[in-house]
Amino acid sequence: MSGYLYEKDLSSMKYAILTSTRHDRMVREIADDLGIAQLKLRRYIMDRFDMLLMENLPARYEEGKRLTAEAPAPERDLKTHLYSRAVPLIEEEEMDRIFSQVKDLMDDGSPEDEAVSTGRRLIREAIQA
Amino acid sequence: MKRTVDVSIPLGPVHPCWKEPARVKCETRGEYVLSAEVELGYMKKGIERIMRGRPWQEVMFLAERVCGICSVIHNMVFIEALESISNIPVPDRAALLRVVVNELDRMQSHILANFSYCYTIEHETLGMYLLDVRENVMDELERITGARVTCAYIVPGGVRFDLRDEDALHLRANLAAIEEEITRYTGMFENGPLIALRSRGIGVLTREAAREACAVGPTARASGMPETDRRLRHPTYQKLGFTPVSREEGDNYARIMMRFQEVLQSIALIRTCLDTLPEGPIRGGGIPGAGETAYSGEAPRGELSYFIKTDAAGRVLDIAIQTPSIMNIEACCHYMLKGVASLADVSSTFVSSDPCIACTER
Repeated sequence: MSGYLYEKDLSSMKYAILTSTRHDRMVREIADDLGIAQLKLRRYIMDRFDMLLMENLPARYEEGKRLTAEAPAPERDLKTHLYSRAVPLIEEEEMDRIFSQVKDLMDDGSPEDEAVSTGRRLIREAIQA
Repeated sequence: MKRTVDVSIPLGPVHPCWKEPARVKCETRGEYVLSAEVELGYMKKGIERIMRGRPWQEVMFLAERVCGICSVIHNMVFIEALESISNIPVPDRAALLRVVVNELDRMQSHILANFSYCYTIEHETLGMYLLDVRENVMDELERITGARVTCAYIVPGGVRFDLRDEDALHLRANLAAIEEEITRYTGMFENGPLIALRSRGIGVLTREAAREACAVGPTARASGMPETDRRLRHPTYQKLGFTPVSREEGDNYARIMMRFQEVLQSIALIRTCLDTLPEGPIRGGGIPGAGETAYSGEAPRGELSYFIKTDAAGRVLDIAIQTPSIMNIEACCHYMLKGVASLADVSSTFVSSDPCIACTER
């Protein structure tokens, strides 16, 4: 049986990165914020990100939080920049689609909190899909 | 999502032009690079875990072993973090001597990075000239601290050794020679037509991309972000009237020129320190105690942060180290390499971001 010499299962090394102090804090915060189990979020990040992006996540997360706090209301509450650019849990196109759905709901007269919570549910579903 | 590409080309983990092992997997269409991914794990030390539970007297030696190229700044940031936890004052003379040693370390690191780049673009002559100058800088480091690397020069409340008058004279003479040579080599790099062909407009990192990837150090400053320089917030550098240099191009050429400029800036800073070095003690004493802090300093590659928690005996309960290479290599692989027109430019672009894998993996 032949195989590639350097193609290895990186799961254990990726897990070691994710369980370091700052990464662990970040994962807990995101999991609490989105209402996702920490284990599932860790698995999702390990499957989706390369090792370098994973190493850089705490710095990107802190910068993303700062930029999100400065954003206008629906983006700020939905954390569009944070979850699609800083910590790219979902594709930008997907986030744009969710954001436009939230805008449509608000234009149709839904209260902002309700529209935002629908948006957050859509983000959660996109991650768990 | 399945992506269709012409071919996936892995570079590394062992590459003749790279100082340390890493694996960059490029997805290409012909010669055009569509995206790049990085695999690490070839030199993981687990040094943060080794540090936990140990007394600060042991951790200070471990800290400078995170990276062999910029060991002084790891020593400095760790000790200054302890000093900030326990409010330990540093005598003025010691504070300036710390700057002298830190800037010498920055000079040798920048010269080594530029050597690597010249070597990668096959300009070995300039590369070897640069290595020759670097030896002078290493000699000065050794003369002052007693060691070329891992010198453990900075201790809580001061520095380990004073600068003798004859060493200061030697340092001034050597700085003049280094300045002359670096100015000459900067001119060679600046005006070399083949160097320009391999460097200008290649591996461009825009200001927005640099911000998104949280790029730091010369990599960020070459993309027009002088505010990322942590020396602006360091009290001793503030007293010296430090102003960062920056460029706007954001390409390989700008990153290398940035380092040449910073070497000359470091020479000027050391001279200012020597001119204003007051008489007085070099160690004020003080014992690190319990506390928790996040402390950053400007390493040769950019912002280096230590997150430390200690107990009353000065034992390190928890520690996390964020090294600049993490951000810079990420910026390189996910932004600079994307859209590189030729595979031949992948290794030079990678090297232009001055990647330190030892720092990244810790």
